[in-house]
Amino acid sequence: MGSQLEDLKTAIRQALPDLDVVIAWAAGPDGLAHTPLFITSESDVDLVQWDPRCSQNLAGYLPGLRGKKVGIVAKGCDARSITELLQEKLIDREQLTVFGLHCQGALDPEKIAAMADCGRYVRSAEINGGELKIVSSKGACAISLENGLLAKCFRCTGADAQPCDQFIGEHGAPPVLKDAPATTLDRLEAMSMEERFQFWEEQMGQCIRCYACRSACPLCVCQDHCAAQSREPHWVDQTDHPREKLMFQAMHALHTAGRCTECGECERACPVGLPIMTMKQALNRQIKALFDYEAGLDSEKTPPLFQFRENEEHIKERKW
Amino acid sequence: MGAARCIKKDALLTWLEEVGKSRLVLAPRAQGKSTAFLPFDPAKGISLSGLATSSPKQALIPRHEALLEFRYTKTDQVPAQTGLAVRELIPNQPTLVFGARPCDARGFTVLDRVYDAGAKRDVYYCARRDKTIVATVACTEPADTCFCNRVGGGPGDSAGSDILVTELDQLYVLEAVTQRGEAFLLEQKLPDATELADKAQAARAAVRAAMPEGDSLLGAPDKVGALFDEMPFWDGVAAKCLSCGACSYLCPTCYCFNITDESKGGQGVRVRTWDNCMSFQFTLEGSGHNPRATKSQRMRNRVGHKFCYYPTLHDGALSCVGCGRCIAHCPVSMDIRRIVSKALTYEKAAKEHSNV
Amino acid sequence: MSENPGTNLYLPFMATIQEVVRETQNIKTFRVTLNDPEQMRNFRFAPGQVGQLSVFGVGESTFVINSPPTRMEYLQFSVMRVGELTTRLHKLRKGDQIGVRAPLGNSFPFEDMKGKNVVFVGGGIGMAPLRTLLLYMLDNRTDYGDITLLYGARSPSDMAFSYELPDWLARKDMSTVLTVDNGTPDWAHKVGLIPNVLKEMNPSPENSVAVTCGPPIMIKFTIQALHALGFQDEQIITTLEKRMKCGVGICGRCNIGSKYVCQDGPVFTYAQLRELPNEL
Repeated sequence: MGSQLEDLKTAIRQALPDLDVVIAWAAGPDGLAHTPLFITSESDVDLVQWDPRCSQNLAGYLPGLRGKKVGIVAKGCDARSITELLQEKLIDREQLTVFGLHCQGALDPEKIAAMADCGRYVRSAEINGGELKIVSSKGACAISLENGLLAKCFRCTGADAQPCDQFIGEHGAPPVLKDAPATTLDRLEAMSMEERFQFWEEQMGQCIRCYACRSACPLCVCQDHCAAQSREPHWVDQTDHPREKLMFQAMHALHTAGRCTECGECERACPVGLPIMTMKQALNRQIKALFDYEAGLDSEKTPPLFQFRENEEHIKERKW
Repeated sequence: MGAARCIKKDALLTWLEEVGKSRLVLAPRAQGKSTAFLPFDPAKGISLSGLATSSPKQALIPRHEALLEFRYTKTDQVPAQTGLAVRELIPNQPTLVFGARPCDARGFTVLDRVYDAGAKRDVYYCARRDKTIVATVACTEPADTCFCNRVGGGPGDSAGSDILVTELDQLYVLEAVTQRGEAFLLEQKLPDATELADKAQAARAAVRAAMPEGDSLLGAPDKVGALFDEMPFWDGVAAKCLSCGACSYLCPTCYCFNITDESKGGQGVRVRTWDNCMSFQFTLEGSGHNPRATKSQRMRNRVGHKFCYYPTLHDGALSCVGCGRCIAHCPVSMDIRRIVSKALTYEKAAKEHSNV
Repeated sequence: MSENPGTNLYLPFMATIQEVVRETQNIKTFRVTLNDPEQMRNFRFAPGQVGQLSVFGVGESTFVINSPPTRMEYLQFSVMRVGELTTRLHKLRKGDQIGVRAPLGNSFPFEDMKGKNVVFVGGGIGMAPLRTLLLYMLDNRTDYGDITLLYGARSPSDMAFSYELPDWLARKDMSTVLTVDNGTPDWAHKVGLIPNVLKEMNPSPENSVAVTCGPPIMIKFTIQALHALGFQDEQIITTLEKRMKCGVGICGRCNIGSKYVCQDGPVFTYAQLRELPNEL
């Protein structure tokens, strides 16, 4: 992987003079997760990292940087967000330089921390072969990368970043993974309505209303003017009832129906680990069934809820 | 002061259950993927491994609390007038917070200076504080995001606690720190452990000694204050920030709040809820003007408050206790230590940028 | 715990609207008394202090008490309609119940100003905080030197307190100049921007203090005009507005660095303002 990293750095270095900023990843605070890096000068390029710890989808920064010439490093799933942003004209293709990568899965730092039975003080963490080797306060341990991947990696449909201006490294197929964990959506669909309600009541009871899910969502465009904190309209009140928090999640899910690429940032960002992408996945299944459409695959296509067609093949209201 | 009692580890839950008969016990418990201070339930146990995801500040400043309730009524007067009854809702619940960490307890001292400031007493906070016993468990294994020792604290410190709990093999040693803690401890049917106090002290000292030293951040106030107008610095450190509230809400010292009225029909409550200075709406004025409209300005306020403004008002005490929750749970792995360290060494005017 | 607004920082006095005066197309003045006669009798405040008015079910917002402490038959607040709370306040009528948390914040340095000439420069709703100090000084007239008022608004119909202006104009113990940005045929006073009219008036900085309040842009140019006239930073006083919730220096939104506008302000000299971080 070393040479791929060097190739990436070289590509960034070459493009940087024509760009205002390049967004990549650098080493994070604890060795288990990398952190976004905003490159504005050549010396920053030395800090760039590329390995399975580059979990964050950097596409979410793009709408906020509109008007600037931006370079971005993208995994396969990140590029779907970029495509969706292009489809919705929230970013400009000609202002954007995508450094595309092939990804074999991104790590879930919480999962790793839970698996690493070698103390809380991580002194070093290194990826070698298929393993993450951690040296910590109580010794050393190794975790198989496959076991530490984000849930979304088990459903990967495209590991190569597309669109991209420069592809770094070899193209390849999605990782072949065994033992995909059951999704929350599958579990929920096996439940009765009462059980589902109870499930969400429990989950939302844990929500601390930090709105990291919203802030991390690359497609959440209202951001600073969110209805969750608005008094007019007063759709969500500030009391701590799970109902109010679920109302916000429902609003978020409905606003991203047919737009959400299931990049998983909402769940990854949630500091208390709530399975909030589930609602978006449920809506995406509906969108797939009704419109045979998946978000973020074709920058020329118009998302189905962005248009009105008199006759929809799968919506048969006239036969009711 | 000086009462010391001990309890066998396997008897802890039974004891907490006993205490729970006369007061609310809040203790860390895993729920889903996180750990929070929740009402103790013997069937669900407690989780004392490491630092809880959420801090125990919610014991004193709940995420949401009704300050007042109000009800409009029609009066018999002619012409009809609307009457209004308003009632304050002062908390009155004796509580034990068990399993706070020394950084958490130090966080309470940060809150005390603001909410219990002489003539200006926040009755809601003070009513809780007066009825709450804080039993803090000294840390045995600081994590790599921990930096209490760089901001004036330590893994075995007792500031802000009423009782300090130290693990010794199969025992917990409970030592009174305050009068309130002493009185509480003396009521408990637990064996005396005065002769274990030295051993407990030594255990805490050993953890402190093993904790990696880092540069002290106590000198931050002047440097952070001097950088106020240095926007390139703040733009650099804030670039990757998502402007969400995860850091503020998990922080044991972030105490800013909102007050809103929520009503249905003619009645409702005036609620106080956690608020967050990283939010655009926090300072947005009715006119549309916003004094902290950019996330760089908001980051400057957040870091400035903890490392400059608060210390200016409170004899140099930082309002960061080094728990590291904001680092461990930030969606983009922001590291406040790096920001402050960068501020300490930042040279103005030099064409420097501040990637951290 | 006692239901005592003195003990509970967040519990308002219950109050009744005694009178609503329509000042302009978007400003109304509310004259309010506390329901408990003893609370009303014991209520003390200083010119410049503010209060939080509550409409229960909607929330609270901050307004200066613009009646002077020398006239305690009611507390007066003038409210410009801009947002949710002010819109609801504007719908209230005589007899309606509201909450009042007051007094909050600091006041004008009216003791230090004794013996000095005072130049008031008010723009639009910014006249409200000046009114309390002006009336206080008129009620203690011998304590102060020359009193000059320059009050401006966008147009004649935007002038609040219009019913008081004839008296102020007629008084021999103060001099009053009115100006509007846009005149009408029957407007008998100045037409021109406040800072320009102020320069024309040419008040002497000698033993004087200028007190100004109004929209931010007006304050900015008024301060420049005062500087041009020779006023020093210490001789210029203004009062700030910020979004506030608690009003007691806790909730964290009105701070400018380590100063809280709700507690350390709202009144600042320009010299003090210059010491604050630039985050207005």
